[in-house]
Amino acid sequence: MLLNRNFTLMKSVGALSIAAGCLLGLYYAGLQLTLPVSARASFDYLHHFTIAFQIDALSAFFLVLIFGISLLAAIYSFHYMHQTEKSLATAVNYLFFSLLVASMAMVVAAANVITFMFSWEIMSLSSFFLVIHNYKKEENRKAGYLYFVFSHVGAMFILTAFGIMYFYTGSFDFGETAALTNTAKILVFVFAFIGFGSKAGVFPFHVWLPHAHPAAPSHISALMSGIMIKTGIYGILRIYALLNFHTPVFGEIVLITGMVSGILGVVYALGQHDLKRLLAYSSVENIGIILIGIGIGMIGVSSGKPMMALFGFTGGMLHLLNHAIFKSLLFMGAGMVHHKTGTLTIDALGGLLKKMKITGSTFLIGSLAISGLPPFNGFVSEFLIYLGGFEGTGLDRMAFISILLAIISLAIIGGLALACFTKVFGVVFQGEARSGAAENVDEKGLTMLIPLLALAGACVLIGVFPRAFVLMAIHGVSGIGIGFEPALLEPFIRLTGNITMASAIFFAFILAALAVRILLYRGKTITRSGTWGCGFTKPTVKMQYTGASYSASVLAFFSTVAPLREDHTGVEGCFPGHSSYRSKVNDVAELHMNAVIVHPVLALFAKLRWIQHGDIHLYIGYILLAIIVLLFFILGCIYDVRG
Amino acid sequence: MIVSVILWFLAILLAPFFAAVILKVKAFFGGKKGPPLLIHYYTMIKLFQKGSVYSTSSTFIFKLGPVVSLCTAAMALMFLPVAGYRPLLSFHGDVIFILYLLGLGRFFTIAAAMDTASPFEGMGAAREAYFSIICEATFFMILILFFKLTGSLSLADYLSGSGPLGLWQTAGSPLLFVIIAFFIVLLSENSRVPVDDPATHLELTMIHEVMVLDHSGPDFGFIELGAYCKLFFYSAIVSRLLAPLNPGNPVLTGCLFIAALLVVYAAVGVTESVMARYKMDKVPKFILTSFVLAFFATVITLEFLK
Repeated sequence: MLLNRNFTLMKSVGALSIAAGCLLGLYYAGLQLTLPVSARASFDYLHHFTIAFQIDALSAFFLVLIFGISLLAAIYSFHYMHQTEKSLATAVNYLFFSLLVASMAMVVAAANVITFMFSWEIMSLSSFFLVIHNYKKEENRKAGYLYFVFSHVGAMFILTAFGIMYFYTGSFDFGETAALTNTAKILVFVFAFIGFGSKAGVFPFHVWLPHAHPAAPSHISALMSGIMIKTGIYGILRIYALLNFHTPVFGEIVLITGMVSGILGVVYALGQHDLKRLLAYSSVENIGIILIGIGIGMIGVSSGKPMMALFGFTGGMLHLLNHAIFKSLLFMGAGMVHHKTGTLTIDALGGLLKKMKITGSTFLIGSLAISGLPPFNGFVSEFLIYLGGFEGTGLDRMAFISILLAIISLAIIGGLALACFTKVFGVVFQGEARSGAAENVDEKGLTMLIPLLALAGACVLIGVFPRAFVLMAIHGVSGIGIGFEPALLEPFIRLTGNITMASAIFFAFILAALAVRILLYRGKTITRSGTWGCGFTKPTVKMQYTGASYSASVLAFFSTVAPLREDHTGVEGCFPGHSSYRSKVNDVAELHMNAVIVHPVLALFAKLRWIQHGDIHLYIGYILLAIIVLLFFILGCIYDVRG
Repeated sequence: MIVSVILWFLAILLAPFFAAVILKVKAFFGGKKGPPLLIHYYTMIKLFQKGSVYSTSSTFIFKLGPVVSLCTAAMALMFLPVAGYRPLLSFHGDVIFILYLLGLGRFFTIAAAMDTASPFEGMGAAREAYFSIICEATFFMILILFFKLTGSLSLADYLSGSGPLGLWQTAGSPLLFVIIAFFIVLLSENSRVPVDDPATHLELTMIHEVMVLDHSGPDFGFIELGAYCKLFFYSAIVSRLLAPLNPGNPVLTGCLFIAALLVVYAAVGVTESVMARYKMDKVPKFILTSFVLAFFATVITLEFLK
């Protein structure tokens, strides 16, 4: 901040210090994950509360994620934050960026309620300021406001959950939940699930997500979508581990919300016209997949099927890691597109692959990975979740039905994700430029390309050699506190070996086919000409299939949950004049949020308005009243103690 | 092992021959003589001898598309127990791997189509992406049933070994539903009538054919070979479910397998001859029928097993 006179210096100091901090953190978290020693640190704060941190396997797994992605985001930001005239805003951005990284690390390491909520608030606030980085646009301010409201209502729910816990245990420490009754445990879980779910972007609490992510700068979107929303998942897992209460109800709740978020997330993603909004909805989808994995794991634990539990939890955890990787990759790719073309409207772009080879190729790898295709990382985690699901088909009645639905919805999500990302890649990077913005682009900014390449490399690495990463995820799962025998690890070893083998064979095939292709083309005439227009002689770039038309038929199928609003002026006469078409896919949660929640709440507050009289005497009266009530309360307490 | 390798090679080599059977059946229904049974080999040799014309809009994805779609189809055949012999590759969960591998092939076919900036190819790509979603749901529904029946997630365990799945076992009758469902998936995944018409003359009504309009020469040959392999893969599964016979004698087994396979291909031909292509908005309903069939098969079987 102090250095905002010298733009480049400030940027480099900011980026470098964050990167260095992350590197250090990554090293220690990695060490923690390989040589598990439970670390603990505590400080007294104001002599009343203890700020305590503890790192176990679960936290260490999340720490690796946080530091790894933040490191790359910091590197990326160096060339991305290029507006010298906004020096101060950039400096503020770096300040909150570092605060966000630090607070996320604190959230996952917190060892008691006070520390947790404290870090949670810092995290929410710093990300709020990052969202309104470009505060001059009204849309961004609105997005920031929406995010602010959602994160605080969410925090309220979490606080309620912790409050119930405190009521029974009388302690703010994590780890003493034996005193809770079963009903209280379920209540705590439900409240915490709603609270954490709103951070994670679980349907229907995801409404803030598609507004806030496009508003933030791209490396921040990558950070928020890649890891910040995962702290919500961390919260759910932590509460689950704390409660240590294995009822099928938890699993069913998580599984069903997971399925709904998964399918609706990707359907809405398919309908978006803005690249970053699309990616934000796809985060909702992936959170859904993670929850399906965790839900299968929870059902596995409650019904005494350790293999199913382990497959489910490990798949969920690994998908968490994978999603962090490919989603940051895609957001950073989208940032690059925005940086060079100045627009994120999908239907205004096109043909970028020709000029932006590295961005295009890495975006392709990210798209393949997020569609869950082998030999990339998304496949490995979805594969594990499928296996967990199939292990669970032996259950009866209710559990069987939900497992069956889970497997089918995973299949549908897979197909829809493929449709969604072929649309993105096909329309944005392939074909011909649809507007002037996409015509003259180049690819510069070394620090922006390095993270893209690193993340794409990670996608392939995990996809082809998943063993180390699967074991890492299993280690993270061990932090949840479900016991499993080492013998259960054997299928994972075999499985990952099989994936590696199959991928190797596949790559060999590709190479062989490419070699044959070169042989077949040797000495042949190869010419270039225009695309075959099926007899039409005057094609223009405007005739290309757009993203909206690509997704139209699938969206029509899902029109009950994704109502489409169209605005078309129509075409008239033999020589039609100007015509326009506008379409928007409505999010049912957003559509009904106003009627179901906002209006009743507003009406309630309107009825309470008489309290705010405006008369200063009355306000003094309130203060007096409050003091008297407090006095009685304290007196009562003292009386109680004396007995 | 060596037998598996030979069978795999044979499967790829013979796939174009079987595809020509469909043409023969269609010609018979049309009262024509029809092309020779080796027509697809002639076409491919012709294609491999040619050069190519590439669209100025296209990038390296366009050239990668055919290679990937051929490789994924050929690799799927490695997991297929041809005539009930153990396949080259097999592991727990390989069915899911195959499905997603074919998904990878589809991704690249679509990407190659989008690469040309042609509105027709975009249209075909959108349909391909749409219809395959429902097919995948059907496929997984069938997998759940198979897993309940065999406790395994590998093609080799379903179609080969001591107790292969088939129409003639105790839980066989619901499998009839599954076979019909699978046949519908076969028709739509391999772009046959009534989902798609490979012989139509109008680009607007095509799905798969329009996506490969701009490919030419050896690239197009790769695509064709990949398509035949994929068709062989699905047909072999259907035929094994119809006739899971293992008489012990290799020659007899082979003959029975080929006979069952010919029946499936002929059935495709008959379907194409007696039906017209559905209107595009009816196709999803048609494919959904397969899902419903598979679902009921599961429900019936679960009650039956109790």
